Amino acid sequence: MQDTLRLYGQAFSTRILLGTARYESPMLLVEAIHAAVPAMVTVSLRRQIQGGLQAGHSFWDVLRTTNKALLPNTAGCCTVKEALSTAFMAREVFETDFLKLEVIGDDQNLQPDPFGLVEAATELVKQGFRVLPYCTDDLVLCRRLLDAGCEVLMPWAAPIGTGQGPRNPKALRELRERLPEVPLIVDAGLGLPSHACQVMEWGFDGVLVNTAVSRAIDPVRMATAFANATKAGRLGYLAGPIPVQDLAMASTPEIGKPFWGASQFVAKGTA
Amino acid sequence: MSLTVNGQEAQLPDPPKLETLLAILHLRQPYAVSRNEEVVRRSEYQQCSLMDGDRIEIVHPSAGG
Repeated sequence: MQDTLRLYGQAFSTRILLGTARYESPMLLVEAIHAAVPAMVTVSLRRQIQGGLQAGHSFWDVLRTTNKALLPNTAGCCTVKEALSTAFMAREVFETDFLKLEVIGDDQNLQPDPFGLVEAATELVKQGFRVLPYCTDDLVLCRRLLDAGCEVLMPWAAPIGTGQGPRNPKALRELRERLPEVPLIVDAGLGLPSHACQVMEWGFDGVLVNTAVSRAIDPVRMATAFANATKAGRLGYLAGPIPVQDLAMASTPEIGKPFWGASQFVAKGTA
Repeated sequence: MSLTVNGQEAQLPDPPKLETLLAILHLRQPYAVSRNEEVVRRSEYQQCSLMDGDRIEIVHPSAGG
């Protein structure tokens, strides 16, 4: 069965997006990409560090061999001006209109700045970018981002790199229910494959993971685990889960049961 | 003439052109440049004259989440 993820009209055959940061080596990153088969991989722009020239090039040379679609980010930008400038430079370097827009409002928990985010998204959409904003689970913020022209939203599960999993499940689920037509990708804060599975079961369209894979003891195995969990969650959602009930209901038929009538349940202490 | 390139002071001989600066730095492709927080497109490098005190950023692909 074909189950395509559509982002800004572009079709993707998988629903996991993979970050490329914090791997022990570029080769390990490539192996993790092969294991996860991500729809896109996130990348950033940085100054060339003194002495880090080789490492930087090695990263790029190796990443290019994977032929994966790129999703440049504006990580670390704290103002609209910085985010816009970084976005334009990213388009120059990576030659794509796709952009993971980050405008950070707090340097402790790396929480998105909702006001700066809407302002930057409004301008970037006008400039032809396909903006995927990294946002919170606030419904009104999400609506404003849609008004700005964003066609995809990326609400957080928890602060970046914490691995906590969905910190506010009710808000995330409500967001899903209120914006049924909008592609929603849960970005940031996932730590376990079960977290990915969980949000996919809730009907989210995809997940973006980085630290949970790259800092695992075996990143390649974890990449596989996340890919499988994402698929399992998606299938579970599509299959239509049963409603949760308070009372037990025997799954094995009562009719034809042997010893019917021969015994009765007697609670202990009442015999 | 004095510039700030990636946060560090740098000198550039006259005439101060962006193209000259990029040539001196022996950069490997790909990279992108901003001048005073405004992107300079590749097609504009040749025409771009620099002014004293300009802040230049040069960035390369890097790992990101």
